[in-house]
Amino acid sequence: MSESIVAARGLGFSYGDIVALRDVDLDVPAGCIGLVGANGAGKTTLLKLLLGILRPGTGLVWTLGRSIPVEALAVRSRVGYMPESACLPPDQTAADFVGYAAELAGLPTRAARQRASDILGLVGLHEERFRHMGGFSTGMRQRAKLAQAIVHDPDLVLLDEPTAGLDPEGREEMLGLIGRLESFGINSIVSSHVLTDIERTCRWVVMLDGGRVLRSGPLTEISATDEVAVEVLDDPAPLAAALAAAGAGVEVKGNLIVVRGGSGDPFDMVRDALAETGAALRRLGPRRTTLEDVFLQGAGDG
Amino acid sequence: MAEGVVYDLGYRPHEGERLGRAGALRALYRDGLRRVLGLRRRARAKALPWGLLAIAVIPAIFFIGITVFTKEIGVEDVDFFSHAQYFDLTGTIALIFIAAAAGELLVPDRVHGVLQVYASRPLTTGDYLLGRAAALAVVVFSFMYAPHLVLFFGRAWTSNDGFGSYVAGNAGALWQTAAACLVYFAALAPPAFLFAAYSRRPTLGAGAFIGVMALSTPVATALVEVGVDPAGLLALQQHPTVVKDWILGVRSGHLVPQQAGFDPWVSLAVIVVIALLTGVLVMRRYRGSA
Repeated sequence: MSESIVAARGLGFSYGDIVALRDVDLDVPAGCIGLVGANGAGKTTLLKLLLGILRPGTGLVWTLGRSIPVEALAVRSRVGYMPESACLPPDQTAADFVGYAAELAGLPTRAARQRASDILGLVGLHEERFRHMGGFSTGMRQRAKLAQAIVHDPDLVLLDEPTAGLDPEGREEMLGLIGRLESFGINSIVSSHVLTDIERTCRWVVMLDGGRVLRSGPLTEISATDEVAVEVLDDPAPLAAALAAAGAGVEVKGNLIVVRGGSGDPFDMVRDALAETGAALRRLGPRRTTLEDVFLQGAGDG
Repeated sequence: MAEGVVYDLGYRPHEGERLGRAGALRALYRDGLRRVLGLRRRARAKALPWGLLAIAVIPAIFFIGITVFTKEIGVEDVDFFSHAQYFDLTGTIALIFIAAAAGELLVPDRVHGVLQVYASRPLTTGDYLLGRAAALAVVVFSFMYAPHLVLFFGRAWTSNDGFGSYVAGNAGALWQTAAACLVYFAALAPPAFLFAAYSRRPTLGAGAFIGVMALSTPVATALVEVGVDPAGLLALQQHPTVVKDWILGVRSGHLVPQQAGFDPWVSLAVIVVIALLTGVLVMRRYRGSA
């Protein structure tokens, strides 16, 4: 399990009669990992299992190469967690609480205070660090939650719906912060039901649906298709007809033609059809689907 | 180097030591002390604990001052509260203090979701509850015991037999009063934690706890008076007083458990059983909270 920051084999968990996760197999590499799925898909349950807050009903799970829950206490010194729901005491200042969070992770008092100041500056709360958090806006609370999750310089941080409740500007800033974590040497697992957030920040995606893993892999692979997108400057009809005649599957959307290779390579087919018709090419490349397309297709298949 | 240039140091990883679970426990304990005493909180959070601490300690200092003064003016045989009697004051204060502090220690963490942060740190549920209880124990023991130290050494200072002779002859009072302080804590803190563990607001839990403790004595008295002797065990607030008198060697037959025919060791057993039972219930409550 040494190459994976997180791994699971046959992992399952139930809340009474309600099955939250079933038969989950995972091997997740270092970096920024997206954990996507609809509400109730099992994302938060999986994060709590990775921390050892919940004990697996079935199967095995490893975080940072250590078995959970047996080595959960050792793992938690090197893992941060940003819960989806509120976790900040309103009658404490951000500096006090984030410093305390660092001490709770095992940092000596002086280092904890110094890091709390540094991290609050990093997340944009330097000016507000001595304010009681009860008066914070939603955006400031999300930043403070992120600060307590990374203040002890973890190897891995688990972020549960980090952009929940944020306005567009706040969402941009939070995604920007998450995107920088990898450059700090902090791996992250970002749980979200907003697929565009994951597409923007993560390189690897785990899709959950109904407690099962739909897909798990690099974003480039998951979103890649065997289709080619051709955009022409003028009427696409002659080119589409030529491609159809060559045996390719063709779908025309305005000036864009989506080509599915029949028996041959779709790029070769497009090249030949362009030469035959003399169509003016604007753009040619593999067609990528959005995570939403992949998710909806996978959920439909499931 | 140019003046006025701000250098962005960026993110700096922590390369120092990590103290693990032991460090987390110490942090938890220190935070508990701050919460109990209202430190680093708004002024109103400090008012109740420091007010109660003052009420507990100031009379002892006052009594010793009066003793010194009366001795100076030649009036002998002035004796104020005994150690046993002083517990009547500090025992009541301990009840209010523990009720308020238990709520302050447990309720905000649960209501505001901070337990999720604790759950992500190298701490167990038992660590969390023990850390909180330890902080409360230290503060309660300190403010209950401090007046007895003041009384003891004040009397030694004003004793006609001399300081050394008084201390040598009465040293037993030091451990007896210490043991009695622990008994009060053991009798009051676990049930206070139980009420706090199920309360949505610190004041509601504290009020309910004080109400149950205060009502237990008249209810038990009424039942014992109509011949239901086992009801003497229900006088929850009087069990620590019975055990305290037992430890200090004071004969007092007016307390309800005694009127119902129970020996002091039964009161001690009741305290231990309630502490264990409420401890288990609080643990079960918190195991499902994160």
